[in-house]
Amino acid sequence: MSATLEMRGICKRYGSVRANRHIDLTVPRGRIVGLLGENGSGKTTLMKVLFGMVRADAGTITFKGKELRDHTPRDAIAAGIGMIHQQFMLVDAMTVAENVMLGWARAGKWLRTGEISQLIRNASATYGLELEPDAVVGELPFGHRQRVEIVKAILRGADLLVLDEPTSNLSPPEVAGLLGVMRRLREEGRSVIFISHKLGEVLEICDGVIVLRDGEVTGSCQAGNATRAQLARMMIGRDIARASPPAEQTPGPELMNVQGISMRDRSGFERLHQVTFTLREGEILAVAGVDGNGQEELVEVLAGLKKQTQGRIMLGTRDITVASAKARLKAGLAYIPVDRVNTSLVQGMSIEDNLGLRDFELSPLRRGPWLDRRAFRQQAVLRIAQFGIHCGGPDLAAETLSGGNQQKIVVAREIGRRPRVLIAFQPTLGLDPGATQFVVDQILALRDAGGAVLYISAELEEVLMLGDRIGVLYNGRLSGIVRRHEADVTKIGLLMAGIEEAAA
Amino acid sequence: MLKVFASKPKGAEPVTAFDKAAPSAEYPWSLLSGPKVWRTVLPPALAVALAFAVTALPIAISGKNPVLAYWALLRGAVGSIDAIAFALNKSTPYVLAGVGVAMCFRSKVINIGSEGQIAVGGVAASWIALSFSYLPSPILIVTALLAAGVAGAVWAGIAAVIRLKRGVHEVLGTLMLNFVGTLFVSEVLHGPMGEIGAGFPQSPLFSQAAWLPSLFPGANLHMGIAVAVVAVFVCHLLLWHTPFGFRLRVLGSSRNAAAYAGVSFARAVLEVMLIAGALAGTAGGIEVLGVHYRLIQGFSQGFGFNAVAIALLAGLNPIAVLPAGLFFGFLEAGALSMQREMGVPSSLVFVIQGLTMVFVLCSMGIGLKQQRV
Repeated sequence: MSATLEMRGICKRYGSVRANRHIDLTVPRGRIVGLLGENGSGKTTLMKVLFGMVRADAGTITFKGKELRDHTPRDAIAAGIGMIHQQFMLVDAMTVAENVMLGWARAGKWLRTGEISQLIRNASATYGLELEPDAVVGELPFGHRQRVEIVKAILRGADLLVLDEPTSNLSPPEVAGLLGVMRRLREEGRSVIFISHKLGEVLEICDGVIVLRDGEVTGSCQAGNATRAQLARMMIGRDIARASPPAEQTPGPELMNVQGISMRDRSGFERLHQVTFTLREGEILAVAGVDGNGQEELVEVLAGLKKQTQGRIMLGTRDITVASAKARLKAGLAYIPVDRVNTSLVQGMSIEDNLGLRDFELSPLRRGPWLDRRAFRQQAVLRIAQFGIHCGGPDLAAETLSGGNQQKIVVAREIGRRPRVLIAFQPTLGLDPGATQFVVDQILALRDAGGAVLYISAELEEVLMLGDRIGVLYNGRLSGIVRRHEADVTKIGLLMAGIEEAAA
Repeated sequence: MLKVFASKPKGAEPVTAFDKAAPSAEYPWSLLSGPKVWRTVLPPALAVALAFAVTALPIAISGKNPVLAYWALLRGAVGSIDAIAFALNKSTPYVLAGVGVAMCFRSKVINIGSEGQIAVGGVAASWIALSFSYLPSPILIVTALLAAGVAGAVWAGIAAVIRLKRGVHEVLGTLMLNFVGTLFVSEVLHGPMGEIGAGFPQSPLFSQAAWLPSLFPGANLHMGIAVAVVAVFVCHLLLWHTPFGFRLRVLGSSRNAAAYAGVSFARAVLEVMLIAGALAGTAGGIEVLGVHYRLIQGFSQGFGFNAVAIALLAGLNPIAVLPAGLFFGFLEAGALSMQREMGVPSSLVFVIQGLTMVFVLCSMGIGLKQQRV
């Protein structure tokens, strides 16, 4: 069995971060290789190197016997590598056939829609894609759009397909369909690299598995003789430092009580299912989970930006189930969203306006019908000093600051008003170590001052270090809430991968 | 990550985080503060200069001396008290409608319906002026202008409600209502409000009680420009110094941020459209009560799109709408004189206007990242 792809000793550094360290990856012809790892473990970097989007510092890539060196994505496609990203590169208003022809030089100078349609039908029959060439892409269900990407890659002659977390947005029947397509690809002698967090799927479909952690290969095995627990340990298994001092002293009275929150999105898909938890004074409930398992929906429902389909939310003795975002804020609920660019900050507004973004209609920032600019300025001067925001002055636009200082504005605004409950959704995402430390310290300080915090993160490590209690969100269900000292890393890893019986 | 959590915070952050002196702005004066002035003034000034320079070319090609032509234009615009009064009167509707459009565009509500709003405002003011001519002059004028404002607000409000209830984009709604509005003027002039035997679709002359009074005795300058100046400053205060303006600015920057800040999209859209409509409607009322003293078919022709151009020229800053609107008004006034004296077609002014817009928008495109909200 000759190898389709051999990557040897791939190294890549970003500044002081070693994203890939001497990674070897072999994909034999007609095999599906699973690439497992947490966020930030180096999977994406490795695939970017393969596809020519990033140049490796060291290492060689041999594809179908030829060395790929200094190649561009265009070269990679020409050589026969097809990459299917999580975000599809499709034009919604065009048909399947038109999307396939788009940007494909071999489709010819003149549109030969009929011929291309026939090619699509043939491929569709061969691989069980069930694609209709004349269908408009925008009207296709999500799973079928993904198949349009697959057929694009196949028709362009891809012998190796890279699927980057292809199942994360699919419903269970769609996942089953995709796995079927992958089996057909394998039968036809094509190779697949399957990137996923989901252990069950990886074990079901893959021939071999490579596990990455912190940019290194921590394990590789034949899928046939691996177990979920083994893989989970390879992904996560390390000694967890217990850095943040836990607030074991006195869990105070209950501040927030969330009962049976469920939520369906517009297409009727259930994003949250019966989420129930309580938050006590002076504690952090940290929720782990792979992105896209309902985290965004949960925080937005709690903050009042989205409506739940059922359930009840109490803040102290007050029922805020139907309260507006503004009313919840007034009741003492602060919220740090994940998106700094478009949500938690208005990039073009001044720092002082951003510090008042959520309170501008309340005293002291508002005085009668006017905004009190002096109060804005006073608040800004105070917060800038309190939270050490590095800036040229409170009247500069937020966008002139670094990401870390931008996040300090958000933290200063949300924590500065001493909320009773803080909802923090990946507040350290994209921050450098210093800024991360700052945000974490502020959240710990809030807890020690008696605040309650719901901390949601895709980084298991953060969750284990910050949470006084720890839970896992998987597929819209919150489960396995335990005290930190009772937390079992393996169990949490399994819960994150959706294996419930192990945690029972 | 591991090390990050384990380590102590590295060195205390300096407490004096910014270098500039502490704010010294006193409260009442700070009401006049807005974005940095030069950022707003410099690009349009350069753009105007460029536009004149480029337009010199076709003037020269037609065998005329551009310097003399521009001299004639300048004299026509500011050469005498009457010329200035004429130009100020011309600028008034531009400033009023332009500042409303600027407020809308600020909040990313694309209202291009000033023309229709001006038209219905004119109809409403004319109806009051013709029907209640027995009222004392001040009451008649104020009532007529109020009616004009209400009519314009209703006209814009229709587009806003269609946008919010039916999801039809306001560009389409306001554009279509322009046609309805201007045809509505024709309709009333061919029917109930038309002057019998005039030979042109116009209403009878209003009674003198309804004419806008002069701002200065002896000058043919009506008080509309004063209304426009007041409107500009009120809009400036609204935008930069009230919660309402804050909402508009947040909404115009990001819908997600607006939701996060607790800003209601529907309420903000409705409010800003009503304000812009009222301003445009008032402009229509001023035009019929102060310039024509009657309703004339097509009196609002081209005002709507000039208002959009002026708002963009002003960088969507209410205060800057004043110079931008005056620029358009004086340019058009001067152009008529240039045509009279030099035989240079006044339509070349549209070339200058157009080129100014192109240059300004180019400079804004370059400086877009610096635009303050």
